[in-house]
Amino acid sequence: MAIEIRNVEKTFGAFTALGGVSLDVRSGELLALLGPSGSGKTTLLRIIAGLDHADAGEVSFDGQDTRDRAARDRKVGFVFQHYALFRHMTVFDNVAFGLRVKKKAERPAEMDIRRRVGQLLEMVQLSHLASRYPSQLSGGQRQRVALARALAIEPKVLLLDEPFGALDAKVRKDLRKWLRHLHDDMHITSIFVTHDQEEALELADRVVVMNHGQIIQVGTPAEVYDTPADSFVFDFLGGVNRLNGVIEGGVARLDGKAVRVDGEVGPNGPAVIYVRPHQVELDVAPGDGVPEGKWSARVSSLHAAGPVARLELDLAGRALEAQLSRDRLSDLALDVGSWCTVDFRHARVFPAKN
Amino acid sequence: MPADPHSRRPAVGEGPVTRLALIGLAILFLAAFLALPLAAVFSQALAKGFGAFLKGLTDPDALSAIQLTLTVAAIAVPLNLVFGVAASWAIAKFNFRGKSLLLALIDLPFSVSPVISGLVYVLLFGLHGSFGPWLRDHGVQIIFAVPGVVMATVFVTFPFVARELIPLMQEQGVEDEEAAIVLGASGWQTFRLVTLPNIRWGLLYGVLLCNARAMGEFGAVSVVSGHIRGKTNTMPLHVEILYNEYNFVAAFAVASLLALLALVTLAAKAILEWRFADQIAAAKR
Repeated sequence: MAIEIRNVEKTFGAFTALGGVSLDVRSGELLALLGPSGSGKTTLLRIIAGLDHADAGEVSFDGQDTRDRAARDRKVGFVFQHYALFRHMTVFDNVAFGLRVKKKAERPAEMDIRRRVGQLLEMVQLSHLASRYPSQLSGGQRQRVALARALAIEPKVLLLDEPFGALDAKVRKDLRKWLRHLHDDMHITSIFVTHDQEEALELADRVVVMNHGQIIQVGTPAEVYDTPADSFVFDFLGGVNRLNGVIEGGVARLDGKAVRVDGEVGPNGPAVIYVRPHQVELDVAPGDGVPEGKWSARVSSLHAAGPVARLELDLAGRALEAQLSRDRLSDLALDVGSWCTVDFRHARVFPAKN
Repeated sequence: MPADPHSRRPAVGEGPVTRLALIGLAILFLAAFLALPLAAVFSQALAKGFGAFLKGLTDPDALSAIQLTLTVAAIAVPLNLVFGVAASWAIAKFNFRGKSLLLALIDLPFSVSPVISGLVYVLLFGLHGSFGPWLRDHGVQIIFAVPGVVMATVFVTFPFVARELIPLMQEQGVEDEEAAIVLGASGWQTFRLVTLPNIRWGLLYGVLLCNARAMGEFGAVSVVSGHIRGKTNTMPLHVEILYNEYNFVAAFAVASLLALLALVTLAAKAILEWRFADQIAAAKR
């Protein structure tokens, strides 16, 4: 099911949770709403589910306005951050809940309910725990019960609020992979909220970056990572070097030397140059000074575990992180304390905020 | 004094002397102020033998008082059960204007002296009260009659259920209800299948406390009842009358029955807690 969101606004008292948000969710995609807390991502999710009402704007499912459809009639699967499992019901009864509360005319026979719940529990690999209570389960198991319960009503859209937020790192990674496979099998339009950029980039088909109740950028993980719309996205996605420089006459300069940058340069004044660690190019320092248009830096620390080597460099008092392959590192024969020349393959520049 | 390496004393806590002293003090206090009076009630009731005790209880006025007390509790407790659940539901799950006012009103019966509560009803519904003449013209008597006793009891026992439930429901939040609604449950289904099971233990405590107070209430009921023997006397009022007439055995016989009802209530609570300890613990998680 496709979802269209048009100019949705929502305020809580004096706080603007959503300030006119528009978004098209494509049928069958897995979409991430990514942003810091207070960016409005959860509010947007709750408005889609019908748990909150927009002050203005509209949300339509496959072209049909949802304003008059109460949450219980929207056929939306919602997985809550803390799962909200019914603690007095067994796992089985939790999953069966959505089927059992259907109106008599639509309610499947008890035998069909048992079969369907059995299938769902098998799918989330929890058949052996059907008669347990939620308090007897681990966090990852509760998460899967919540998912099976949401899927029991055969929703047209699956909404997940910080689905992995309350889990430890190992379980989180496993469950992430598992959810991706599940989505590929079922093709339900799915939207999940997260503040973890790694999670969004790894799991989603498209990422929506939000801040202060606005959508800043929408794109595939590669687009968002490679061409961030602004300095906020750059900062939020993380893993980036921020170097203080200046813009003079349409040229970004670091220590007086011009930096080749992608995209717009902006007005004259103090600026921040953003460079990803793997876009930093290192070379052996020549004996006689720094080559034209390059910088000189000293290796201050070196982490060479795994296929990629991470180097901390000191560039005229600034900390600079660089990543390169282990092979390249051994070619360069760099070690802590040695000097090298630095260049940037791709960089972006944004005016500095005061 | 050097520390004894073999001491099993925990790092946090007091020495054995302090501990014994504290426990002893608590037991002494309980014995003096709770157990002793309770024992006195039963020993006084049985002072002239079991026959006299039974005679005090089976006196027609005593039987009528027992019946009235049970009737009043049977009306007041369900009323406050419904009100308490409705009020705590509203306060814990919704935001609305006047919420703090409602909270304050629920506490009113706790903060106002029961005698005043009784007087308010007299002022409203008594012969010289605001609605008195109208009620008299329509042949309805509230003050010095059973309806007055019921109303005063309802007023005094107002907060018990709500006070028990509000913190519980506030702590549980609304996520469970939201989950139920998204899954397609109606409002009533959500209440019956999700909210009610989540609060059942708190609700039970509230009802037990409410019941104990409904049967034991003296002040407010005393003002509105008029002490008409065999008609508007509840058990506590009957005890007082008998006592003032120096009929100690009968007074304590009725009092012992009242105390027994309270003990049964407490025992019921303890048994339920013991029997369903797992569920209660699970519900709190």
